Amino acid sequence: MRSGLVLTFAAMGVATYLTRAPLLFALARRRLPPWLARYFAALPIALITALALPLVILADGRPVPPWDPQIPAAVLVALLARRTGNLLLSVAAGVVLVAGVRAFLS
Amino acid sequence: MARAGWRGEAWTGVRDAASTVVPSVVAYGAVWGGLARQTGLSLGEVVAMCLLVSAGTAQFVALPMLAAGAPAWLLVVTTYIVNLRHYLMAASLAPHFATLSRWRLALLAHGLSDEAYALSLARFARHPARPAYFAGCAGALYLAFYAGAAAGAVLGSRIPDPRRFGLDFVFPAVFIAILAPSLRARWQWGVAAAAAVIALAVAWRIGGTWHIAVAGLAASALGVWLAPSPGGRA
Repeated sequence: MRSGLVLTFAAMGVATYLTRAPLLFALARRRLPPWLARYFAALPIALITALALPLVILADGRPVPPWDPQIPAAVLVALLARRTGNLLLSVAAGVVLVAGVRAFLS
Repeated sequence: MARAGWRGEAWTGVRDAASTVVPSVVAYGAVWGGLARQTGLSLGEVVAMCLLVSAGTAQFVALPMLAAGAPAWLLVVTTYIVNLRHYLMAASLAPHFATLSRWRLALLAHGLSDEAYALSLARFARHPARPAYFAGCAGALYLAFYAGAAAGAVLGSRIPDPRRFGLDFVFPAVFIAILAPSLRARWQWGVAAAAAVIALAVAWRIGGTWHIAVAGLAASALGVWLAPSPGGRA
């Protein structure tokens, strides 16, 4: 094992931890001012939207090709999740649709 | 009794993660392990990187840089930038972890990932927020990535493309299935729409993982004006 490489990995681990721990410690026991509490109420919605949509609509930085079933599958997942509230069922239906259409097209 | 409650809740986290994202995380761990071996990492170095870095996206980004002989400082800085989005996730989880001791908080911080964050928020929206649930999700996701990476490192280039089985779609599907039922009030739709526009624009023009932090930071500002104060009417 190359020791320089392992040291680099350790430093990368420290860099990662520095993004995860500080605000967890700083905000866990503090009462937030109301405006900041409203900001944090909106944060999960903004973050999860930002995580999800580019994965559906862009593939490797370009719009997904029109034959890729990702967008209709995402709509299906959203509708099922709203209707049933069942996470596993909604995700499974979307994945089956995506895998099925891709298998059909390949 | 408190201990039993902790364990039960942690198992619920393990179960929820296992029934949704774990298969995809194993598959992508295997892809990563295979790529890492092709990059020239030894089996020991693959294990060391997983244990020390413990951040899947950053590990994927690092491989082509390692192959190109990038200097160590650049790898460290890139890792930090790729993980900037975790600041926001940590900030939004923090109030749920108010009861934890310092060392438990320090340990749980290590488990923060996009998937553990999303699954935990979905749970905390409907059930009392219990850090054990997050710990269960995080532990399951870690083990899944390690197991996948080990398998991929051993099997090398014989790993099939996860896209063939639609496993790439599991990640956005889980996020959407968590988001969709939580959008009820008009301000929530407003925040989501703003985040969508910003995230797509940034992802398209800049690439990388910037869109998550930028859209999270910017679109949440709408909440300051539009959201009702917590504790008030919803």
